[in-house]
Amino acid sequence: MTGNAGSNAFAPGALAIETHGLTKRFGSHLAVDSVDLAVPRGSVFGFLGPNGAGKTTTIRMLLGLVGATSGSISVLGQPMPASLASVLPRVGALVEGPAFYPFLSGAANLHRLDTADRSVDGATRSDRVAQALDRVGLGHAAGKKVKAYSLGMKQRLGLANALLAPRDLLVLDEPSNGLDPQGTREVRSLIRSLAADGTTVFVSSHLLAEIEQLCSHVAVMSSGRIVSQGTLDAVRDQDVSRIRVVTTDPVGALRVLADFGLEPSVATDESTADGDVRVVLAPVPATDPGHRTSGIQPEAIVAALVAAGVPVRGFTVEESSLEDRFVALTGEGFAIAEGHSVR
Amino acid sequence: MSDSPVSDSTLSASTAPGETASVRARPPRGLGLALLASELAILFRRTRTIAMLAALAAVPILIAVAVRVSSSGSSGRGPAFIDQITQNGLFVGVAGLILCIPLFLPLTVGVAAGDTIAGEASHGTLRYLLVAPAGRVRLLIVKFLGTVAFCIAAPLVVVLAGTVIGAILFPLGNVTLLSGDTVSISESLGRALLMSAYVSVSLIGLSAIGLFISTLTDTPVGAMAATIVISVAAQVVGSLDQLAWLHPWLFSYHWLGVVDMLRQPILWSSFGDNAILQLGYVIVFGALAYSRFVTKSILS
Amino acid sequence: MADRSLRRWLPAIVAPIVVIGGALAVPLTAGAAGVPPEKSAQEVLELVGSNEVTALSGTVVQTSELGLPDLSGALSGTGTGGDSASSALELLTGSHTARVYLDEAQGARVQILDSMAERDIIAGPDGVWFYDSSEDTATHLALPDDPTGSAGTDGSQSDATDTVPTPAALAEHFLDAIEPSTAVSVDNTSVVAGRSAYDLVLTPDSADTLIAAVTIAVDSETGLPLSVAVTAKGQSAAAFSVAFSDISFDTPDASLFSFTPPAGATVDEQLPHAYSLSTSANGEHDSHLGDLAKNVTVTGDAWASIVELPVGDLAAGASEESADPSGSASSLLDAATEKVDGGRVLSTSLLNVLLTDDGRILAGSVPVALLQAAAAD
Ligand SMILES: Nc1ncnc2c1ncn2[C@@H]1O[C@H](COP(=O)(O)OP(=O)(O)O)[C@@H](O)[C@H]1O
Ligand SMILES: [Mg+2]
Repeated sequence: MTGNAGSNAFAPGALAIETHGLTKRFGSHLAVDSVDLAVPRGSVFGFLGPNGAGKTTTIRMLLGLVGATSGSISVLGQPMPASLASVLPRVGALVEGPAFYPFLSGAANLHRLDTADRSVDGATRSDRVAQALDRVGLGHAAGKKVKAYSLGMKQRLGLANALLAPRDLLVLDEPSNGLDPQGTREVRSLIRSLAADGTTVFVSSHLLAEIEQLCSHVAVMSSGRIVSQGTLDAVRDQDVSRIRVVTTDPVGALRVLADFGLEPSVATDESTADGDVRVVLAPVPATDPGHRTSGIQPEAIVAALVAAGVPVRGFTVEESSLEDRFVALTGEGFAIAEGHSVR
Repeated sequence: MSDSPVSDSTLSASTAPGETASVRARPPRGLGLALLASELAILFRRTRTIAMLAALAAVPILIAVAVRVSSSGSSGRGPAFIDQITQNGLFVGVAGLILCIPLFLPLTVGVAAGDTIAGEASHGTLRYLLVAPAGRVRLLIVKFLGTVAFCIAAPLVVVLAGTVIGAILFPLGNVTLLSGDTVSISESLGRALLMSAYVSVSLIGLSAIGLFISTLTDTPVGAMAATIVISVAAQVVGSLDQLAWLHPWLFSYHWLGVVDMLRQPILWSSFGDNAILQLGYVIVFGALAYSRFVTKSILS
Repeated sequence: MADRSLRRWLPAIVAPIVVIGGALAVPLTAGAAGVPPEKSAQEVLELVGSNEVTALSGTVVQTSELGLPDLSGALSGTGTGGDSASSALELLTGSHTARVYLDEAQGARVQILDSMAERDIIAGPDGVWFYDSSEDTATHLALPDDPTGSAGTDGSQSDATDTVPTPAALAEHFLDAIEPSTAVSVDNTSVVAGRSAYDLVLTPDSADTLIAAVTIAVDSETGLPLSVAVTAKGQSAAAFSVAFSDISFDTPDASLFSFTPPAGATVDEQLPHAYSLSTSANGEHDSHLGDLAKNVTVTGDAWASIVELPVGDLAAGASEESADPSGSASSLLDAATEKVDGGRVLSTSLLNVLLTDDGRILAGSVPVALLQAAAAD
C-alpha cells in the first residue's frame, strides 16, 4: 500500500480491478447499482457489506460469470469479459462458498479444476495440487472424499483451488465462512503472506474485525451501492472522531468549539440530557488520514472551555471504529439489507 | 501504455512500473485435452455411470438366462431374434441391443446428457470450471464429447456382455443374416460391433438435445427427465400414421434400421442416412446449446 | 452488451434454418445431371427398346396412396401374415423398399426390406429360392434347364429385347396399339435416382377412367425405365409409384446369386410347374385368377374397362385363403367397403370394386356410378 496508496488518482495500469457504473438488475431488482470500484494493485482490499448487499453479484460480474446490465469492468488492466480467457488464469477465486464434486477426493477435485485451465503445465499438476493442499493445511485429508469434509475443510479446499497456480489477483468471497477461530487466523496469515508476495487480494466479508485486521483498503457496500471507499484509515476516519462536551451552557460550548474551526451542534436526542444539562457534539474532520485528531489538541479545547467559563461536566474524544462507520454507512448494522427496487 | 489501457496487451499491463505483481500472462498450451481426459475419467469412474452400464449389461444376460432356463424346445412367438439365441449364442448380444434401443439406451443417454451442464451447475463446480477458466465453448464441447463417449460405451457394453454370456450358455456357430445368407463367427462379431456403432450414432442426436436441455436448468434431474420424455415422445409420434410427414425428421426415425447391418450386402445407406439425420440434430441443438450457454448467467 | 448477446443467439437461429432448408433442398438439387437432348415420344420408346442393360444393382421404392382404409389392424387380426391375399393387400398400402440385383449372366435377386425382416427372391444358377426371414423358411424351385433365363424374373424389358427385332419397331408397335385411347407425350425431363430421365406420359383419352396419367421415367442414357407412377384424377401426387431411389450399372457380386438355405430353416422343395410366385412382389399374385378368367366378362374399352365376375368364385377363394372360423374375413370386408345403391363398394383412388347384392363383382378404374350402371345392364 505504499507508493500508489497515498493518492487516490491511480494510473490505469496500477489498478487490479476497476469498474465504472457497474450495474446488475434481476428483473426489477437492482442488486448492484452503479458501482465504481478501484482496487489498487498490491492491496488487500476489503469488500464489506451486510448479507444481500450485492458483494457476490459484483464478484460474479468481475469474473465473467454473470453479464453486467450496464457499466464497464477492467481486471488486471484488461476489459472484462472480453479478455476473460487471458485474465482469469492469473486470478484465483472463491465465489459464494466452496463447491466440489462430493464423490471425488479433495485432491481429485483440485486435479479436475486444474485441467480446466489450459494455461497451466499438466506435468506439474500433481505437485501443485499437493502444495496447495499443504498450504491450507489439508495435506492429511487429500485422499478423503469431499462429501466427508466439514464445512471448514471445504472452505480450505476452496482456498487451495484458488492457489493452484501463481496468481496476480485473488478474489475471495467470504473466505473465513465456516472456519473455526484457528482457521480464521490461518486464513488471515495466508492472505498476509500472499499479499507480501505482491498478490492483490480482493476479499469480501461481512466480518468487520477480519477486514479491519487484514486490509489496506476497503469499500463498503450497502443495498447494491458503494457508500464508502478508500484506504482503511480514510474510511474509518472520515468525520468519525468527535468531541463530546456535557455542559449546562451549550451556547458557550458551541461558541468555543466553533472558534477551533469545528462544526458543533447540540444533540437533540441524548438520553443524558437532564434538566439544563446538554450534550454538544463536534465531529473532527479527517484532514490528514493517519492522524486522527488532525492537529487539534483536546487539552487545548478543555482549557479554552474552562477559560470561557463554560461549566464542563464531561469531555470525551470519541475514537471511531470501523464498526461505527459500517453501521453509520449501512444504517442497518448486521441486518440483512435487501437491495432497493426501481420502477 | 496509460494512453490506451484497453488496447494494450496483457504483458505490458503486468509489467507496469511501480507494481509488484509477479505473474506473467500464461498463453494457453495446446488444445487442453486434459479437461476431456478428466471429464471421461469422472464420467466413467462415477458410480452412477457404472451402475447404468451394469444395468445395460444385465439386459442380454437376463435374456440369455431366461431363454436358457425356459428353453425346452421352445419355438414360442416373439421376436425372431430371441428364437435364434438358442441355436447360436452370438445372437444374444444383438437381441439384447435391439431390445435396449427403444427405452433402456435412451434412458441412460438421457441421464448422461441431461447431467452435463446442469450437474455441474447443481454441484456449483460450473462456476469454478468457468473461472479456471475452462472457456464456455470448450466446456460445452468437452461435455458433448463425454456424452458421445457414453453413447459409444453403452451399446458396446450390451453387445459385449451379450456375446460373452451367449458364448457361455449356448453353442456358437455361423450366423444367418436377414437375407438368408450365412456368415462366419468372426464376420458376425464384426457385424455386432457395426450394429453397436450404428446404435451409438443413433443416440448422438438425443445427446445433443440433452446437452441443450442441460444448459437450460440448474436441476440435473429435470434435464434428464425432459430428455428421456422427449425420446419416448419421439417414438410415440413415430408410431402415429397421422403424423407420417413428420417421421423422417424424428431423431428416432432410423433407430430400428440397425437391423440393416444384418442384411447381405450391408445396407450402408441406412447407416449414412442415420448419420446425416443425427448430424442435423447435433448442428441444430449444438447451436442452441452454444447460444444458450455462452449467454447464460452462472448464478448457481 | 445486448448487441453482443444478440449476436451469440444468431447460431441458434441460423442453424435450424440451414439444416432444415438444406434437408429440403438437397433432394431438389440432387443429381443436377445436365439436361439431355430433347426427344419425341417415338424416340424415347425406341430408347427403351434399345436398352441393353445387362447388370444393375439398385434400390426400388414402391409407394401407394390409394386411399384404402387402414386394414393393418384387421389384417393382423386374421393371423395370416404369409398368405397371398394379405401380402397383396400389404403391398398396396404404404411404402416398400426393395433392393434389386441383376446380372443377365448370373441371375437376379430381389430383397424386400421389411422392418426387422427381409424376403428374398434369388434366381441364380441353382434355380429360384424364396427366403422369408420372419418365418425362417426357404422355398426352392429347381430349374432343370436354361438357368440364365431366370434373370427375366426382374427385367421384363430384357425379355422384350429378346423377342422384338428392333427397338424402333417395338416403339411403333406400342404406339399403334395404345394411340387410339391414349395420348403419349414426353412432357419434360426429371431426375430419378440421380440420373436424368425422360418423362414419358401416357394420358388416357377416356373421360370415364379414374386414371389421370401414367408417367414412366426413362433413363436418358440407357433407356431403362427408372420409375413408373400412376396418378389418379383430381390428385397431384402419384397414387401408385415404383421408382429406383438409387441405381448402379456395375455388375453385382456373383455370390449374391447363389443361395444356400441357412441351417435350421424350413426348406420346401417345389417342382417348377407347381410353383407360383404367389408371395413375390411382382408378377401374377394369384393362382385363382387363372380359373376365374373363364367366368370373367369385360365391358367398356381400354382405360375404362369394367371387369365383371360372379362372386361365388371369389368367395370360395377367399374362404379357402383366410380360413375364418371367427368371420374375420367378413368383418374385414365390412371395414374396407361402404354401402351404396345395389351393393357395397371398395373405393380407392385408382380402382373401384362393386360387390352387388345379387352376388357379382364389378371392378374397374372408373367412377362407382359407372360400375353401378354396368351392374344394372
Ligand atoms: N439469481 C438471483 N435472482 C434474483 N436476485 C438475486 C439473485 N442472486 C442474488 N440476488 C439478489 O441480489 C442481491 C445481492 O445478492 P448477493 O450479491 O448474493 O449479496 P451478498 O453476496 O452481498 O450477500 C440480494 O438482494 C439477492 O436477493
Ligand atoms: Mg455473498
